[in-house]
Amino acid sequence: MRLRSIISLVLHATRLLLSLLALWLSLGWKVRRARKAFEKELAKMGMTKKDAKKLSAWYSKLKNDIMQTVKSSLFAWR
Amino acid sequence: MAEEKERKKKEEKEDVEELREVLSVVSKEVPALIKGIIASVFSEEAGRDMGRAAAAFYKELKEAGMPDDVAVKMTEGYISSFTSLGEVMKRAVGGKGEESKELEKEISKRIKEKLAEKGLAEKEEEEDED
Repeated sequence: MRLRSIISLVLHATRLLLSLLALWLSLGWKVRRARKAFEKELAKMGMTKKDAKKLSAWYSKLKNDIMQTVKSSLFAWR
Repeated sequence: MAEEKERKKKEEKEDVEELREVLSVVSKEVPALIKGIIASVFSEEAGRDMGRAAAAFYKELKEAGMPDDVAVKMTEGYISSFTSLGEVMKRAVGGKGEESKELEKEISKRIKEKLAEKGLAEKEEEEDED
């Protein structure tokens, strides 16, 4: 019974870690797509490509902020 | 003695069971929650919507006769208000103010005092038993 609980516990923990890893890996791709869509909309209104890129940089900043927050909170718990 | 051992064993078993149940819920709910939060900000759809809002803002400024560089700067300011989401998260999750640090110190001080008192009391009890 106890062994079964421990095995199940390890499986759940592995599942959690794998899900988080997959999310982390897909985040970069999602940010890239969001940036491209954002830049496209700005370009439609006549903004130059350079300015649109400058403005879309906030997506990367936001991503970095969130990752930094997650990392620091993880280290704070340890 | 045997009863106490049995009780401890039972408690340990219950703890493992409880942890297993908690982890089974957490492993399902937490990734779904994070996925939802990420999708609401970092998705093609969200990017397009945000781009539309910023583009409409920029267009209005241009139509009002604002110079190009000023319009871009103002649009940047408009967008940067959304980056404050990161700041909010930082403050909510990791941010520890002076007050909480002082509280932490006070709590650890009180715990140490109590432990010291308890240690002394136990010593006195042991001496009384001797």
